[in-house]
Amino acid sequence: MLFYAFLGCIVGTLVGILPGIGPLAGISILLPVTFGLDATKAIVMLAGIYYGSQYGGSTTSILMRIPGEAASVMTCIDGYAMAQKGRAGAALSIAAVGSFVAGTFGVVMLTLVAPPLAGLALRFGPPEYTALLVLGLVLLAYMSSTSLVRTLLMAAAGLLLGCIGIDVMSGHFRYSFDIKELGDGIGIVPVAVGLFGLGEILSTPSGTVTQKVVSPRLRELLPNSSEWRLSALPIARGSVLGFFVGIVPGSAHIIASFLSYAVEKRVSRTPEAFGHGAVAGVAGPESANNSASTGAFVPMLALGLPTGPVTAVLMAALLIHGIPPGPQLVSEHPDVFWGFIASMYVGNLMLLALNLPLVGLFVSVLRIPYAYLYPLIVMFCIIGVYEVSHAIVDVWIMLIMGVVGYVLRKFDFDPAPLVLGLVIAPTFELSLRQSLVMSGGDWLIFFQRPIAVTLFALSAGLLALAAVALLRKDWRGRLARAQASGGEA
Amino acid sequence: MNLRRDHVGGAAFIVIGALVLSMSDDLPFGTLASPGAGMMPKLVIAAMIAFGLVLLARARGSPPLAAIAWDDFQHAVRLVAITAACIAFYTWLGFIITMSLLLFGLTFVVERKPIVSAALFSVGVTGFAYALFRMALKSPLPQGVLWF
Repeated sequence: MLFYAFLGCIVGTLVGILPGIGPLAGISILLPVTFGLDATKAIVMLAGIYYGSQYGGSTTSILMRIPGEAASVMTCIDGYAMAQKGRAGAALSIAAVGSFVAGTFGVVMLTLVAPPLAGLALRFGPPEYTALLVLGLVLLAYMSSTSLVRTLLMAAAGLLLGCIGIDVMSGHFRYSFDIKELGDGIGIVPVAVGLFGLGEILSTPSGTVTQKVVSPRLRELLPNSSEWRLSALPIARGSVLGFFVGIVPGSAHIIASFLSYAVEKRVSRTPEAFGHGAVAGVAGPESANNSASTGAFVPMLALGLPTGPVTAVLMAALLIHGIPPGPQLVSEHPDVFWGFIASMYVGNLMLLALNLPLVGLFVSVLRIPYAYLYPLIVMFCIIGVYEVSHAIVDVWIMLIMGVVGYVLRKFDFDPAPLVLGLVIAPTFELSLRQSLVMSGGDWLIFFQRPIAVTLFALSAGLLALAAVALLRKDWRGRLARAQASGGEA
Repeated sequence: MNLRRDHVGGAAFIVIGALVLSMSDDLPFGTLASPGAGMMPKLVIAAMIAFGLVLLARARGSPPLAAIAWDDFQHAVRLVAITAACIAFYTWLGFIITMSLLLFGLTFVVERKPIVSAALFSVGVTGFAYALFRMALKSPLPQGVLWF
């Protein structure tokens, strides 16, 4: 069984590193390979691919600013900035160690608290989801130290992009301009790769890039003591936050990494360092992303509820092997349940052992002269985006988003909230409309359910705090201007 | 009036919002009890226009528009033009030809690298990518009119 965990980890790491082939595609492609194996080996191998890809996804984000999938978007920001400062090895090591700690924490929590936590997740109906997603957006805007309005504008743009495609409740085509591929909506991968990967390349002419082509020593590849110290708390916070967000159905691991970044920026004593190579900006989101991936197994194993497309495919793999996931899994198939849990402990160790020695090899990618490196990145962007859906429309969307990303950079807009808006748009709209339908149009439904009302109260409180801070800043600015003009007079 | 960065940023979002709203005529808003396909987009557009107005109103504190550096603009235009041409011919000419031309275009035309090294780089990298994705990973890369 260890061999299959190892195989899954290797394949998963490769899947994460190669742009475009995300965990879903990787698991789907390799699902038929597991038909000849028994259920435990099959699920151990497929799960290895899943969490291996979460490890591998950070590599291209840090070295090339190409997010392998949406969950790696936040790692792009400070991971790439660290690489630009010659700290790519440190960023990769922190990502690997953070992923290991968070993954292990997630497995411990999965072992201990799976059934009660899954029960809580079951109490989430449409009003609770609406409230949770509103809180997610407000939290992101509140935590952002740049500008509340700019963050909300970007999130609104993402939500609007998420409205493109067939309306699931009425069947209406929305803004699809008779392009049938847009019926399914705009994919996250083309948008994220365009905004972050291509957008970065467009605004970086090779003449402006100075590369130090030196062979780094082992000591330089690893984080220094200050970087370890700065990453410890973000890893801890990301692990806890990621696990609890992960058990909620939806694109939890993506939302977890966004929230973790926002939290780290907010609690940091140097929020201005974020976006310019802050260690916490890599450690937090990477840990949250991995912990959330493990958390997503809680409802799947304990209740037979898939929390996303990847866990749905994993569940299908169990069903193919005649094992129905759910409350009876532990009692009726203890070998599968505990074998799976044990493989995750070992798998996390394997991934750390696999990834840390390869840091030097990955960093050597940066020694390629930029004039040759960026054409290579453009090629991988095209291959990656095309391979997801085999639709050329997606590649055009990536190019358009690259131009949008370039312009947004010029006007100092952060594209990350746009991606979050796009990710949550379908769930947000569906839960909002379902809530209204089930209450017969009574919007008070959001304030009659304890979980929903608590989440909305939190959102309102955060917005009020942000508004007060904004007004206070304005007032101080006016006062300073008045004093300056008084002084001149 | 001194035009500032956020004047343009805010105005752009208001214009985009108005434009999308004008394209939403056929989407019914519905009622609260039976929300239509247009409810969510129209609510989001309203929020976008409102935030755009706030940005516009507070634009005085942002840097002047002229402070934005556009020295990378020509590089961006060349890159977009070559990539767009590559995407336009990707499924018709196939992976090998299109990607070789893309890499050659970017290294020789944009970066002015020597023709031989640009050609060797383009063909070598394309061959490697083809072997990795097509042969090893069995990914269905576009074959094009020449079947490769």
